[in-house]
Amino acid sequence: MKISLKDLYWEFFLLGVQLLGGGYVIVPLMQKNLIEKRNWITQEELTDFYALSQTIPGIIAANISTFVGYKLRGKTGAFLALTGIITSPIISILLIASIIDFLLKISYIQSIFWGVGIAVIILIFLTIKEMWNYSVYDIATWIIFLATCLLSLFLKVSPVLLIIGSIIFGITVKYIEKRCKK
Amino acid sequence: MTTLLHLIYEFFKMGVFSVGGGYATVPFLYQLVNDYNWYTSDQLTNMMAISMITPGPVGANMATFAGFQTFGVLGGIIATFSLVLPSFILVIFVSKLLKKFNENFWIKSTLYSLKPAGCGLLTAVGLGFIKEHITNLPAIMLFIFLLALSFKFKKNPLYYFLIASVVGILLQICHVKFI
Repeated sequence: MKISLKDLYWEFFLLGVQLLGGGYVIVPLMQKNLIEKRNWITQEELTDFYALSQTIPGIIAANISTFVGYKLRGKTGAFLALTGIITSPIISILLIASIIDFLLKISYIQSIFWGVGIAVIILIFLTIKEMWNYSVYDIATWIIFLATCLLSLFLKVSPVLLIIGSIIFGITVKYIEKRCKK
Repeated sequence: MTTLLHLIYEFFKMGVFSVGGGYATVPFLYQLVNDYNWYTSDQLTNMMAISMITPGPVGANMATFAGFQTFGVLGGIIATFSLVLPSFILVIFVSKLLKKFNENFWIKSTLYSLKPAGCGLLTAVGLGFIKEHITNLPAIMLFIFLLALSFKFKKNPLYYFLIASVVGILLQICHVKFI
C-alpha cells in the first residue's frame, strides 16, 4: 500500500516536535513511531540509515529523515520528510528569536543566561569526552586532533581548510597502511 | 541582497563540511562570529542553550536564528534550507548505493580522519569560549563547580541549566557583580 504524502509529512512533523536535546534521540523516536506504530521501515533499515547518516555531512536527524522519506516515496517523500522534521524547530526558533532581545532586557533573565552560557561550555566538553574513544585512538588520529585544535585556536585557520587537510592526511595514512599490509 | 547571498553561501558550506552530527556545526558557527556581524559570541552560547531545550538540532536552530537576525523570518527559513540542501542531494545519491557506501576504502578513511578533526575543532571552540566567557571570579567558580558535578552526573543539559540559572539569580540577589 502506498503511504500518503500527507501522512508522511505529518509523521515527520511529529518527530520534529519531539526532537529535544540534539539529534541523537531521533533513533529511539523512529523506532517507536516509524517501526512499531506505522511499520514503514524495518529495524535493519533504520540501523543502516543511521550509520550512513553519520557518514554524510550535515545534520544527522535531517539526513536520516531524508533516507526514510526517499525509501517510502522517492524524491518527493525525501523532501517532505526533511521539511517535516525541520518545521517545528524553525517555528520555535523564529518565535524565540523574535522575543529574545526583549527578554534579555530583564535583568534576571540576563543572570540566567550568564549561568547557562557557562553550562553550555561544560556540555561542549562532555560531548568531546563522549566522542573521544571512537575518534582519537592512535598516532594519526592524535596528530589530526592536536593539529586541528591548535591551528584553529591560535592561528584561526578556517574549519573548512582544516577538515580538507585532515581528510588528505588520513587517507594518505590509511593508504600507506594498506600498501604495507600487502 | 549580498548579505542574503552570503547567508546562503555560509550555511550551504556548513552543510557540506560539518560531518558527525551533534555539535559538528559549532566550529563553523563560531567562525561566523569573527567573519560577519550576524550574531555575537554571547548570542551563540545563548542560542546553543536554547537549542538544547527546544526541538531540533543545534545546527538547524542556529541557521534559523542567524537568518532571522539578518533577514527576518524569510532569512531564517532560507538559511535553514541552505544548511540541509547539500546533504539532501547526497542522501538521494547515496540511497542508490546504500550498504556499499560505508564499506568503501575512501569513505572509511575519510571518516577515520573526520572524527578526530571534529573533536579537535570542537575542543578549540570550547577553549575559545572559556577565554571569552570565564573572565571573573564568579564565572570561574561556577565553571569549576559544574565541572566537578559533571564527573558525578550524566549529561542532561536541563540539570546543568537549572543549577547554573539558580546560581546566576542568587548572585544577582546578593548583589555580586558578575556580568
